Amino acid sequence: MSAHNRGTELDLSWISKIQVNHPAVLRRAEQIQARRTVKKEWQAAWLLKAVTFIDLTTLSGDDTSSNIQRLCYKAKYPIREDLLKALNMYDKGITTAAVCVYPARVCDTVKALKAAGCNIPVASVATGFPAGQTHLKTRLEEIRLAVEDGATEIDVVINRSLVLTGQWEGSDFIKTSTGKETVNATFPVAIVMLRAIRDFFWKTGNKIGFKPAGGIRSAKDSLAWLSLVKEELGDEWLKPELFRIGASTLLSDIERQIYHHVTGRYAAYHDLPMS
Amino acid sequence: AGTTGARHHARLLLLIPFPNCLYLPQAWLDTQDRCLGHYVNGKWLKPEHRNSVPCQDPITGENLASCLQAQAEDVAAAVEAARTAFKSWSAHPGVVRAQHLVRLAKVIQKHQRLLWTLESLVTGRAVREVRDGDVQLAQQLLHYHAIQASTQEEALAGWEPMGVIGLILPPTFSFLEMMWRICPALAVGCTVVALVPPASPTPLLLAQLSGELGPFPGILNVISGPASLVPVLASQPGIQKVAFCGALEEGRALRRTLAGECAELGLALGTESLLLLTDTADVDSAVEGVVDAAWSDRGPGGLRLLIQESVWDEAMRRLQERMGRLRSGRGLDGAVDMGARGAAACDLVQRFVREAQSQGAQVFQAGDVPSEHPFYPPTLVSNLPPASPCARAEVPWPVVVASPFRTAKEALALANGTPRGGSASVWSERLGQALELGYGLQVGTVWINAHGLRDPSVPTGGCKESGCSWHGGPDGLYEYLRPSGTPARLSCLSKNLNYDTFGLAVPSTLPAGPEIGPSPAPPYGLFVGGRFQAPGARSSRPIQDSSGNLHGYVAEGGAKDIRGAVEAAHQAFPGWAGQSPGARAALLWALAAALERRKSTLASRLERQGVELKAAEAEVELSARRLRAWGARAQAQGHTLQVKDLWARGRAGQVGWGGAQTRGCEMSQAWGPAATPGRGLHFNMRFAWDIQTLSWAKPYFFLSFLETESRSVAQAGVQWRDLGSLQAPPPRFMPFSCPRLPTNFLFFLFFFIFSRDGISPC
Repeated sequence: MSAHNRGTELDLSWISKIQVNHPAVLRRAEQIQARRTVKKEWQAAWLLKAVTFIDLTTLSGDDTSSNIQRLCYKAKYPIREDLLKALNMYDKGITTAAVCVYPARVCDTVKALKAAGCNIPVASVATGFPAGQTHLKTRLEEIRLAVEDGATEIDVVINRSLVLTGQWEGSDFIKTSTGKETVNATFPVAIVMLRAIRDFFWKTGNKIGFKPAGGIRSAKDSLAWLSLVKEELGDEWLKPELFRIGASTLLSDIERQIYHHVTGRYAAYHDLPMS
Repeated sequence: AGTTGARHHARLLLLIPFPNCLYLPQAWLDTQDRCLGHYVNGKWLKPEHRNSVPCQDPITGENLASCLQAQAEDVAAAVEAARTAFKSWSAHPGVVRAQHLVRLAKVIQKHQRLLWTLESLVTGRAVREVRDGDVQLAQQLLHYHAIQASTQEEALAGWEPMGVIGLILPPTFSFLEMMWRICPALAVGCTVVALVPPASPTPLLLAQLSGELGPFPGILNVISGPASLVPVLASQPGIQKVAFCGALEEGRALRRTLAGECAELGLALGTESLLLLTDTADVDSAVEGVVDAAWSDRGPGGLRLLIQESVWDEAMRRLQERMGRLRSGRGLDGAVDMGARGAAACDLVQRFVREAQSQGAQVFQAGDVPSEHPFYPPTLVSNLPPASPCARAEVPWPVVVASPFRTAKEALALANGTPRGGSASVWSERLGQALELGYGLQVGTVWINAHGLRDPSVPTGGCKESGCSWHGGPDGLYEYLRPSGTPARLSCLSKNLNYDTFGLAVPSTLPAGPEIGPSPAPPYGLFVGGRFQAPGARSSRPIQDSSGNLHGYVAEGGAKDIRGAVEAAHQAFPGWAGQSPGARAALLWALAAALERRKSTLASRLERQGVELKAAEAEVELSARRLRAWGARAQAQGHTLQVKDLWARGRAGQVGWGGAQTRGCEMSQAWGPAATPGRGLHFNMRFAWDIQTLSWAKPYFFLSFLETESRSVAQAGVQWRDLGSLQAPPPRFMPFSCPRLPTNFLFFLFFFIFSRDGISPC
């Protein structure tokens, strides 16, 4: 995690001056997916890069220590060893950026990761995820407990009732949504958020991270997200400290694409280890 | 692959190897043995003993093929093929033509990969823009015009196709420019001969795709040849219209060449565009608009950027930041924003930027651009002194010239203070401000909070020096139509006329005997600005009736009279355009009624000129009917946009809202200053007076319509329309186009004045 957001005096005039033209943003969102087509080894390189941004996530009601363990192993070894060897990337330490779980599963995760022998950060959703409609006291307590258990990153659901009434909160990272909404990470919304991050950086010098979450399932999508961040914010944001992709099934599609790149054939589902 | 992948993984660059898609265009060129001829009447025409020009990759300079240069006889053969094809093509019902156009769209769809790779390879433009933009729009154009063709009999009753259309394209153009013109022409039943510059294979490929479709091989013929063939093509018998797009100077030269020829001329000139960025805009989106306009291979030319002073720093910072992320490279590379457009374009922009720098401008360049010759980086020029030559000159691709403005009023003054009037966009989140700026801009097309969007159903064109022809929508169709029964155009002005002294030399007319004209004799003089006035030369010209007797004397007009007439029309325009559609319709209808009341007099007058009585009566009747039809149209069009009172009347003068209104404006020439702003009541009174005048004095202005060159008011209307003055109102809000009044329609008016004064051969 980068240096924390030192914060700044709340100046609501920044917000009131913002102009967003919806149709223009929609057009930009469409363009961004067509303007940066990467193919062949460049695509493979981009996909591997994308892997290192993934917050490998499981947020199910039936999570137990066994599937958490599997997930952690997958986070440590996201791409099949032989594929990485073929790409000459075996020794580059490619792992996902973090593992993201519910607070109650943080303990299991820390244990599993320790067993796997790696120091991938553990992220925990907290504060009454996904609605955020609990008391401030229990929300703070939830964070405290998760941190005690070993979580190093907390995805806080802000109290949207406060936002909608104009009372804002600050953060180091902003996330498109919880991933549990009907509409989650979309490009137009992301464009607006990224431009806000840039403006904030220009005004205060603080770099805020960005995490799209929910609905990013295909390798192609992940490439579009990468090029979006690269185009709107620049290369300095393309590192795990400032960019994450919250996803659960994305990794297997990326692995499939890399399998295809290496072997020239598409993998059957049983060819690749499950997460 | 592994090591490269690793290297690039570490650096995360976007460098792409040149993709392996050269195969298709090269295979197609191989089918022609790398020697491209012309495509005429469904066959390749490769005459012997012709010079050939190499078709080169604009970036590597590699020879792709050689292209034969046409000579006059090849042009004649192509026009002959088109004339033959016209007979059957125009005779078929619109539905048949519609089916053919749809088939052509499908063929393009089937071969789109060949089309886009070939186009990108030869022009150097980014393949993304060709693939996702041009090729898709080409198909949409065909489908849209197929629909128009299928309803032609009902929707365009009373109109017929002009005939063979000559199409002249500049060396640097996208094949889409050709599609914008051939689609409406083919849809309404015209056939086309396109003269393309040597070394442009895409139009030839299109012609081949069309020709191989079967029953109508000769409807689209493409010949490649030098610019010296333009007059040859234009003067071929049977060519009814020449459509040209390209540089201003070439257009001017063509206009001079074609003066007095029978072919009409439709011009679309210049490439520069304009973007107005106000302080209420979404600046980031506006910056994307700049990228769309100048640095994405969508627009053909450069951009003038006007930024409101209060957001100047912010906008420039964002713009420069965005420029740093642009990528230029080979057009066929799928991840470039900009390609290269060959040595000539590169030299042009280098010269411009050097000169701008020497005149005191600041130049900012950025982006990931290869350093080799034909590539040129995205360039932002600022602080250019407003009076410097570069500030007046057309901005070349890929340059953006930015300058600040303080208020909306100043923005309009700056934006309109140029002879060019192509397209512009306004960026503002305030609806009122955006509309005010949009209406105030003297350009052909205005986009609000967008730039460069094209739609087949929205007419686009230019005003001022940017030309006078329109593409797309119903207006695009009328470019290639004329009222049914209009005789084919003939050369109308004397070839040996000296245009340098025309209207200046004072002819000497001696008395030639007693007049046998009507009694009482019509007033002597020119009818300008709502009244009769003596001609500047104070001399006369005798006119004879059909049996050779002296009919009477009319005033001999000169250059100064023309100037006065044009001035009067300019003065009358704001007031007339500010009238409601209803008021204009009412005037035209009243005029028609007045004509009908005078029917027998007018007919007998025509009869004296040698027209049979029945034909003469029919002509007067037709004239009245046309006046009514256009009057009705003024209101019918009014229903789409009744914005008369949206802005102050004075400003409305800059806006030609709709065809009928603009046409009405020309009529105001006859009624003159009666139609000045704020004089509505007076206007009506004056009008009544004029009608009375008509009833006893037979103003010659009308008689000139009826009795000379154009033979009828109706046809006069059509000729005006062809000069771009008869445009439909903006059919869309975003994007919308604001048709403007091209200055040169007024010059057409001379023609009538001179006709009236007897220069016409009739």
